[in-house]
Amino acid sequence: MKKTDLKLRKIFTPTVIVICGVLMLLSLFAGNLVFYAFGSDDSGYAITPVLIILLLAIIGIVLCLWLRRRIVRNDPVMGRFAAERISLKPGGTVKGQRKFGFMTMRWLIMILSFFALIYGVKWLGQGFGNIELPIFACPINQDQLIDSSCYTLAHLNSLVGMSWSEVGIFLGSLLLSIVVLGRFICGFLCPMGLIQDLTHETRQGLKIEGLSFNEKLYSRLKPIKWTLLLLFLGLSFVGGNFCNICPAITVSPALAGFKVSLFLSGFAMIVVIIGSFFKRRFFCNICPLGYLIGLGHRISLFRIKKDCQACTECGACYEACPMGIKTIYTEREKRDVTTADCIMCGECIDKCPENKALAMSFGGLRFYKASRKTFMSGHKKNEKRLKRLIRKREKNESN
Amino acid sequence: MSLIDNKRNKPEMNHVIKNQRNAHNSSSPTTMAERQRQRFVDKATKVSAKYLRRLAELPGAPDAMEPFFKVLQDIYVDLKNVEKSADTKIVGTYCVMVPDELIYAVGAQPVKLCSGSYTAFAIGDDLVPRDACPLIKAVMGFQAMEVMPIYDDCALMVVPITCDCKKKMAGMLKQRVPTYALHVPTAKSEDRDMEQYVQELYQLIPELEAVTGQTISYQSLAESIDAMGFAQYQMSKFNEFKKHVPALIKGTHAMALMNAFSYLPVEQWSQQLHRLNQELARRKKDKHYVSKDKQPRIMITGSPVIFPNIKIPLLIEETGGILVGDETCMGERSLYDPTVVVDQSFDGLMRSLANRYTRPCTCPTFVDNSQRIYRIKQMIADHQVQGVVYHVLRGCLVYDFEYQTLEDELGKLGVPVIRVESDYNEEDIEQLRIRIEAFIELIKLKDLETRISKLKKSEIAG
Ligand code: SF4
Ligand code: SF4
Repeated sequence: MKKTDLKLRKIFTPTVIVICGVLMLLSLFAGNLVFYAFGSDDSGYAITPVLIILLLAIIGIVLCLWLRRRIVRNDPVMGRFAAERISLKPGGTVKGQRKFGFMTMRWLIMILSFFALIYGVKWLGQGFGNIELPIFACPINQDQLIDSSCYTLAHLNSLVGMSWSEVGIFLGSLLLSIVVLGRFICGFLCPMGLIQDLTHETRQGLKIEGLSFNEKLYSRLKPIKWTLLLLFLGLSFVGGNFCNICPAITVSPALAGFKVSLFLSGFAMIVVIIGSFFKRRFFCNICPLGYLIGLGHRISLFRIKKDCQACTECGACYEACPMGIKTIYTEREKRDVTTADCIMCGECIDKCPENKALAMSFGGLRFYKASRKTFMSGHKKNEKRLKRLIRKREKNESN
Repeated sequence: MSLIDNKRNKPEMNHVIKNQRNAHNSSSPTTMAERQRQRFVDKATKVSAKYLRRLAELPGAPDAMEPFFKVLQDIYVDLKNVEKSADTKIVGTYCVMVPDELIYAVGAQPVKLCSGSYTAFAIGDDLVPRDACPLIKAVMGFQAMEVMPIYDDCALMVVPITCDCKKKMAGMLKQRVPTYALHVPTAKSEDRDMEQYVQELYQLIPELEAVTGQTISYQSLAESIDAMGFAQYQMSKFNEFKKHVPALIKGTHAMALMNAFSYLPVEQWSQQLHRLNQELARRKKDKHYVSKDKQPRIMITGSPVIFPNIKIPLLIEETGGILVGDETCMGERSLYDPTVVVDQSFDGLMRSLANRYTRPCTCPTFVDNSQRIYRIKQMIADHQVQGVVYHVLRGCLVYDFEYQTLEDELGKLGVPVIRVESDYNEEDIEQLRIRIEAFIELIKLKDLETRISKLKKSEIAG
């Protein structure tokens, strides 16, 4: 493993540069790279491309697993676990940690928002078109409850032709979203987020090893993020169309029944699914839109607070953080540890075992705090069992 | 391989022979060596029994402490083995960095062998350099005398390389028993430090599996993590009781309980602690306290305090203080930080273990250990500590190094701190008593002053 690590490190920087270059090049010709095209006669099912993507992604994941197993098998240390690495045995998870709580809420909100952003109009009969969230919920799907401003952001050149009121709505709701919600959007509302969390949960359920990123790897992702941002904002000025490479286009319209031909996006979505299977919220780490919202993190109302004295630097939050934010555990002075990358998912607080060491706040109100008691609440069941056991034993003794 | 097997068999055989010997002619030992050993056993058990008595006589021991005292009695006075089924193998560990979870996962029983015996120390004094720390001397002393079943029955010893003494000790142990040196990263601020420890743990696994012949499976590891987690859960409840003012339990008793953890299977230990917690809850309800309102609340930190070397906590509580917290590795630290599993795969479990045993660990072996200061500060706030006793074992350099920074930091807080250096013998007891007594008086005085000034202020305001 060490040797392969070293080799990986050596080839990593050039790889990142090559990826960025290829991305740029591809995106220029994205319109010519057809993944799945609907004919003009309106035949076929809207869902077909999604299924194809899913199938290819599963094949890709299996391929990756097989490859990894082959590599690991020859390693003297890790090789013994070649079999254990893909363990499909049921049961036997670690039970002592909390099961329900804030995370359950997050899942509910995510699922709700997913469906609202896909079928909203069909349900309520009416959408709120004049609010535009900066979110990767594809606006080609016209059944969205709330509009998305990603299309306008990806086609900034079209701003010139817009009426003042339209520009006003666009800028106003963008600013409002950044201040009121910030990257809370990423953690709670974004459909891309839900898809990635689902793939992650699948891996958890199968107990398959993922990729543990460290500082270095995270920093290697940055150039890719910047390239994507450049493409996101700039492609329209050189005659390209970001929608042709955007992975978000593949899901939402198709589920709502809109037939959209896919170009590079289809391939991008496969990469996103495979990536997020092995690395939680892989796409969020390179998402240009999230990065854009994150730039305004200083003025947004959702915040992560820390009590630096209570923190033991146990690193649990860092391990749990899907965005690899290290300062959250190394910080020893500031009370506010919100960063541009933070998606407000609350994982860090969920896993923090120190009372009040971490908290999430909205406009100064701490509504969710870390606590040892709730962190270990999974053990309460064991305790009850023990109490019963002791009572039984005492009864036997007294008899 | 045969060599190792030989080594592995030898101590057991020795032990059998010795037992027979003890049974038959303990009244009339013949050879010189045997007589010496007999004297050693007599002395060691006498000292342990004495401290156990003092421990039990310290007023305010809850009834549920009984099993913990009994374990210490079994191991140190009656020289018994740990309670286990006949074919369970023992794996000896040192320090707080060896994951007990892994040992339980192969079906073995971990026993922490760090020692505090004065008698063994006297023997070990001749075996290792004079400046080595007493803990090492005591361990080597027991090893040489071959009278403690927990040392002699060890199928494997896992020694984390935490300081120079431990490193050389691992080397010396290797000549007598199968020993595995576990490399602990020297720093922990970089990601690669922790990742290195993941690799180390992966390499430890086959060694452990060779001991019992059982392989670690996902299932067994998850179960042992849960078992340890349950102990930590009980421990966290116990900690909540410890924060109560006035105190519900004496700190010396709390430390004895943590010492007993080294020699008890984790399930048993957490069951007993559960009982103790229930009793403390009752005490809380009945307002049955073991300290008075104005008793100075002291905290101890520094070098390990290991039974029977519990003279300092005893002195603190016998001279009128109340020990409310400890930040030592044989005390709270060994069970304080939970294993936080964030990834349910096998690798995820291993990572979470490596993470738990390095990053939050406040052992001074790490290059940068500023977090220990924060931890102590937090404990001072949580337990309303009025004074800190900094315990340094003679020759324990790493702890001594950190004293200066702590003194400065606590000076800023206005919390008095005293550095007491001690060795594994009873010669320094009187001197220690005088110093600790003076320290406690000082805190009382300080407390009085603040009370008076507060009173004056309120009078002026009123
Ligand atoms: S810092 Fe916490 S809330 Fe922010 S992304 Fe990381 S885990 Fe989620
Ligand atoms: S999980 Fe909590 S205690 Fe641990 S490093 Fe993060 S903030 Fe600190």
